[in-house]
Amino acid sequence: MGLERRPPGGPGCWRHMPHRRWHRKSPVCQPALWPRQEPCEACGPRLDYLCGPEDNVYNIDFTRFKIRDMETGTVLFEITKPPSSNKGDKRDVDPNAGRFVRYQFTPAFLRLRQVGATVEFTVGDLPINNFRMIERHYFREQLLKSFDFEFGFCIPSSKNTCEHIYEFPALSEEIMREMIHHPYETQSDSFYFVDNKLVMHNKADYSYSGGP
Amino acid sequence: MSLKMEMDVSGVSRAPISVLPAAAAQPAVEAKATLKPEVERPRCSSTPCSPIKSTVSGYQILHMNSNYLVGFTTGEELLKLAHKWSGGTGGSGVDVGSEKPTAGAGASVASACPEAFPASPLRRPLDVGLHRASRIYKAKSRYYQPYDIPAINGRRRRRMPSSGDSYLRPTGLAGAGVGSGEPSKALHGPLPLCLLRGKRAHSKSLDYLNLDKMNLREPAADTEVLQYQLQHLTLRGERVFTRNKT
Repeated sequence: MGLERRPPGGPGCWRHMPHRRWHRKSPVCQPALWPRQEPCEACGPRLDYLCGPEDNVYNIDFTRFKIRDMETGTVLFEITKPPSSNKGDKRDVDPNAGRFVRYQFTPAFLRLRQVGATVEFTVGDLPINNFRMIERHYFREQLLKSFDFEFGFCIPSSKNTCEHIYEFPALSEEIMREMIHHPYETQSDSFYFVDNKLVMHNKADYSYSGGP
Repeated sequence: MSLKMEMDVSGVSRAPISVLPAAAAQPAVEAKATLKPEVERPRCSSTPCSPIKSTVSGYQILHMNSNYLVGFTTGEELLKLAHKWSGGTGGSGVDVGSEKPTAGAGASVASACPEAFPASPLRRPLDVGLHRASRIYKAKSRYYQPYDIPAINGRRRRRMPSSGDSYLRPTGLAGAGVGSGEPSKALHGPLPLCLLRGKRAHSKSLDYLNLDKMNLREPAADTEVLQYQLQHLTLRGERVFTRNKT
């Protein structure tokens, strides 16, 4: 699976954005039909959130995250959220702020082929059927790859751990160079569904110009 | 694609959780992320001799391999840093013509744009209008000169930048990372638009998506230009002003 390139000046061409109109969202894009229908690939990364924090009625809370290189087993990053973290201080914080993260990778990260992502999460009192994540990675308006992971069923009031394997697409040297030289123009949207209903939407952006 | 899942009903994870950084094939040089400096580092209960790593917005970074990752931050930290750089206090201390930084996209943009705020002691009230933010962004290369320097030989002198000027702090868009340990250096590049838009009233996701489906018109060109400009606002340490000479 490689990049989806668009003709110069066509919809989604970043460089021509200030000078010509382009369709930010395709008329056929119907996120309401996700994930039964393949997510629209013409939309590019979302500029906003498709659901609010209050839509997480299942109280899904990610408490730990780890990524590792599958070829060498090297752990690249691991983060945890203690259960005693004080949520009272977040009264005045933009609720969307908790749904966004920013990574500063080095160029070496782009050479990796398989990355395992282990996520630990707790759920609330409701059983969760068909928990699923669709994650889309973009460089500017170009879709790099779409990932579809199933978590399956989650027992109420449980803590769960799951590892997903990201198979990175083969990127051309040109694209990698552009991604390195344009930090944070690589972005991702992570959509979480329960019974085919969107309950969470997280976003991230990435820099690949960091140095050790 | 493989999947491994372990769950525990009682709330205790059955998956072995290592609090220590995992052993790496190659030496992992610890990289500093966007951090809150801590006076005391709590000790991990399972390994008393190993301090728990730094925290970011309540999260604890247990391991970061600087060969691949040199920085991590959250939207919350980005907004805090942007607010701090803008010179605003926590909440209503920002002269943006708006009561609170989270009042809307305009206020968020204004508070996130350090060029809009003159260095102390002068503070100019800032128009929250986004067109103003873009205009200030274009003028970022000018120096701020709070006082007149007497002309010599008929030629007006310009104040030379001093090392204490905040806008001279090296930031750069790449390479600096957070390895230097300064949290502000993690604030590279523009704030994401999803944060600049501030709070937004979301209806039920299905209703919202229906509205999205119904609106098939092209967005106005000026809106597109605005979005493009917003996405290219950069947060730097420099304070930029245009001096209106009357």
